[in-house]
Amino acid sequence: MSESCLINSTYDLPEDDDEDHAFDPRSPRSNYSLYPLEYLLYCVDCHQIRCPRCVSEELVTIYCPSCLFEVGSSSVKTEGNRCTRSCFQCPICVGPLAVQSLESAPEASLLSADNASASGPTGPWALTCSYCNWSSSEVGVKFDKPQGIFAQLSKLRNGSNTSADVPLTSAGDISPTKRDANMPEPESTRARFSALRSFYQSQLANSNTGSSMAGGMGDYGFSSPAALTRIMSIYSGSTSKPKNKATVMREADVPSEGFRTSNLDESEAISKLRAEGYDGTVTMEQAVSQVEEGAHFADELWPVASLLRTKRAKRCPACRHILSKPEAKVSNTRWRIRLVAGNHIPSVTIKPLPNPGAPPPSALAPLKPAQYLLTFKNPMFDSIKVTLATPATTPGRFSSKVTILCPQFTVGANSDDYDLNEVLKAEDRDQRDGRREDDGSHQVEAGKVFERGRNWVSIVVEVIPASLQIQPTPSILQKAGEPEPDLAPLREDEDILEIPMFVRLEWESEPSQDQVGIASSGKEKDAKEKRELAYWSVLGIGRISQE
Amino acid sequence: MASDPDARPTLAHRSVSNIRAGGQPSARDSTSGAPHTPLRPLSTSAFGSPSSARAEEEIIVIELGCRKLRVGFAGDSTPKRIVAFDSEHDKRAGDYRAWEPGYGHDWRKRMAGKAWGSDHELYQLDVRGQDLGLVGDKLERVLRDTFTRYLLVDSKARRISLVLPPAAPLPLLSSTLSTLFRNFQIPTISLLSSPVMATFAAGVRSGFVVDIGWNETIVTAVYEFREVRTWRTVRAGKKLLEETQKFLVNALQCRTAESQVEEAPTPKDIISFEECEEVATRMLWCKKSEKTPKQSNTEGLPTLHEADESDTPYPAEDSTPTPIHLTSCNPSKTIEVPFSQLAEPCETTFFETRYAPACFDDHELPLHLLIYRGLLQLPLDVRAMCMSRIIFSGGCSNIIGLRGRIFDEVSLLAQEKGWEVIQGKGADAYRKNPKLKRNASRQTNDGPIPTISQTDPSGASGEEAVPLDPAHAPADVDEVEEHIRQEKNYRTPVQGVLRVIDTLGPWCGASMATQLKVPALAMIERDIWLQQGVNGASRPNEVDVQAQQKQQRQSMGTGGLIRGQGNQATSWTLGVWGTV
Repeated sequence: MSESCLINSTYDLPEDDDEDHAFDPRSPRSNYSLYPLEYLLYCVDCHQIRCPRCVSEELVTIYCPSCLFEVGSSSVKTEGNRCTRSCFQCPICVGPLAVQSLESAPEASLLSADNASASGPTGPWALTCSYCNWSSSEVGVKFDKPQGIFAQLSKLRNGSNTSADVPLTSAGDISPTKRDANMPEPESTRARFSALRSFYQSQLANSNTGSSMAGGMGDYGFSSPAALTRIMSIYSGSTSKPKNKATVMREADVPSEGFRTSNLDESEAISKLRAEGYDGTVTMEQAVSQVEEGAHFADELWPVASLLRTKRAKRCPACRHILSKPEAKVSNTRWRIRLVAGNHIPSVTIKPLPNPGAPPPSALAPLKPAQYLLTFKNPMFDSIKVTLATPATTPGRFSSKVTILCPQFTVGANSDDYDLNEVLKAEDRDQRDGRREDDGSHQVEAGKVFERGRNWVSIVVEVIPASLQIQPTPSILQKAGEPEPDLAPLREDEDILEIPMFVRLEWESEPSQDQVGIASSGKEKDAKEKRELAYWSVLGIGRISQE
Repeated sequence: MASDPDARPTLAHRSVSNIRAGGQPSARDSTSGAPHTPLRPLSTSAFGSPSSARAEEEIIVIELGCRKLRVGFAGDSTPKRIVAFDSEHDKRAGDYRAWEPGYGHDWRKRMAGKAWGSDHELYQLDVRGQDLGLVGDKLERVLRDTFTRYLLVDSKARRISLVLPPAAPLPLLSSTLSTLFRNFQIPTISLLSSPVMATFAAGVRSGFVVDIGWNETIVTAVYEFREVRTWRTVRAGKKLLEETQKFLVNALQCRTAESQVEEAPTPKDIISFEECEEVATRMLWCKKSEKTPKQSNTEGLPTLHEADESDTPYPAEDSTPTPIHLTSCNPSKTIEVPFSQLAEPCETTFFETRYAPACFDDHELPLHLLIYRGLLQLPLDVRAMCMSRIIFSGGCSNIIGLRGRIFDEVSLLAQEKGWEVIQGKGADAYRKNPKLKRNASRQTNDGPIPTISQTDPSGASGEEAVPLDPAHAPADVDEVEEHIRQEKNYRTPVQGVLRVIDTLGPWCGASMATQLKVPALAMIERDIWLQQGVNGASRPNEVDVQAQQKQQRQSMGTGGLIRGQGNQATSWTLGVWGTV
């Protein structure tokens, strides 16, 4: 793990906000609440950090990442979440599939001049992967025309007449037997589903009308099919006779109603398994990427229509302020609004304190003090007062000792109206100042800032890494009430030294009528407002060597 | 259904099998597709705006499993996404180590200190000492990802139907509900029970659902959409994977099956969990039982599609070496296993026919025994319905040949033993002893099938009528039943034969039920949950039955509208899940 890994944790859940309990980067839950600074947004109204877990989202654009075609949200509802044009992924690898003619294109030399224009490649067509050479003809999928592959494919898959939805029949007394004749046995899951659904619907409708007849105003559920029938019967005047109504809801018992007894004789599949072997079966990864589950053999794989993608705007859940909003156009990757947290909270970088002489070791040596330089860089246009706190020892089985030598300091304001020359001069001056102070302050000393710039401050943190030896405590030292020490072998990432650090920022800014941070320097001082922000962060120092 | 209350009391108890399907939707069982006005949840907000009644609302259906999560919209025939939990899901944001070269080979290091396969589970069945907050976190991350990438929805308020196994632990349910309510803008969550939904998705109203899942195989008898009883055994996916691992390690170390008897437990760091699972899902199959059940001699026993096995050599004797590529072992290797042996893990996990039935503990009964005993313990009428509606669900039921094998074994057991509850030597002796028989002329038991309609022969002969077994007495003519029989679309339900039915799966059932607005077993509202939490739910036994009946009558009389309002202030339950 790299040395300068700043991870920021935000607490959005009230249950987490355990003030007297130090944050534990080792706990498995921390993995879900830690984010690198780049992932975080900042609400300028609430003055809170907003992580991906605590924003509310709005769809801006839905599009296919493969053909960049924009899709309306209503058609997503009807057509599903996949591209309905001709964008498909290979079910074996994940490469894109291209439509190709199965007939090899006639050679150019054979074409006489007059018919060259007329004959392109002709059908049938198939989807082929240019990476692994998979072709949909392997699974028996061929197309008549090279356009509208999605529609052709779903027709092949779900049968021709049961397109996406069988219209929801709410007409009450269609006898199900009547439909049996003209409906073929549904094969695919989808067809069975819709068959079963319409069966239940007819059953519900049948028995509902029966009941609503008996109890005059029996039915206020306008959504129920019975209501419709009732209203219709008012207008038509013909009251359907209650005695005709079925009062028993029966079970589905013919295939056209979605009923199917299992085919328990799978000897065919067994011999197929034997013939095809391990390579003829679908890997789990391939099975997961399929749209419908249930593929077992490689020839049961279907081309995967590419999944649509969305552009989303994010809002603060508390004040509905927009935190980020992308450009609506698909091809444009810019953001219209994006309030990143990096503009509002100081970034922290860590590096080992340059040690004259020895080069920095690759891993932390256990039980040997090491010093690290923490640099806080202020992105804001107000100077901030930073207060740091860490537990004296890191939590976990191997607790290293941590000391922040200067836990309280002020970082100067950032400014954007500077002249480069001035900055250089200033830095020059800083350096001179530094050099003047150098005699004293560049040594590591408790309570003092190590180094300071225009909008940054470096402080020193000293760690004594724990030893990773797993030894039982001698029985003399064991106290009576203490739990058994954990003697399990080293777990994953347990050798990483991470310091939980509580950061508290205080600053003064002008009241937030307008955008914070723009032109704050020119305003008068008395209108300033005190602000503070506090959060836990985790500093990854490095791995402790295991000797 | 308003005509129901008068009909019900007249039903003779023997005719439960023909009980009117439109009958009482009791409070516990409101998932039934009972033909009444679907109850619409009216918003309990102060304004009572009926906006939630708009029909076009998208409801998200989530099926919660230990290994997998199915998420999709109500009304779809397939879930939009099936998430399998794995170790990739619990990484920190910005942790890209998975892309480093050699990451795959480091699985031993990553696995250290964890239970085998625990990365791949959302929760452990034993919730004691488990960090339920972590379960919530995992669930939240997966759901957020699914909503964003697969469902393409924004964070608008959406109702959720949650399909759960009926024995989901209460702390787990509480954590799940809290996660959903807190992190997503969800006004209500309805709870549905997965065996009932599996039955629903099979198109039947009763069923014997065998859910061969990950931690356990749960066998549930569902009668008229009510869960009657459940039985469970640990012989399920987890055990299968352990067996597979043992099998692969043995094959890798070229040990024969004989030499491996009862050794030290197989070390877990030879083959990774992922690879074991891969092999298990791809290559395992299940043998046929040695004795196939007799066909068609006894009427009613399976007129199965037990087709020709003659043309191909029987796979159980087939010793063609089948190559399996293993990459997680060090060094990676291709092992060659005789094809017939690939059926071994299934054999040891699910059947273990070499042991006597007496040597299994209650929690580890082999599947066929469990199913048979389950059926045996059911009341006669329920059994008659359930046995011809056996439904397999769960991931492991996809293993080639497993369902057929279980069915064969169960029918064998039924053939051998019949449906006699009392078994054993004593019972046999009693049955064989002619002195103890009062009417020797009669057969004690006419076959394994409880046949319902019997013209009784004993009525004619005078003397024998006295010691008549009441089970064989002619049923009273039931007017209601007669009436039902005469109805237009009436068909006698199939019963008394063993039969297996395909289901579309609990998720599809829930999707359909939600779309058809079948009321859920329990409905929890956001505000109430956030106020009261899990302790606010009244226990099912505390629920005032009278109040509920009143409520029901109300709902019968004047439809869902009034019920919704009357219901508001009263107690809410977690349905079957609230039972402690």
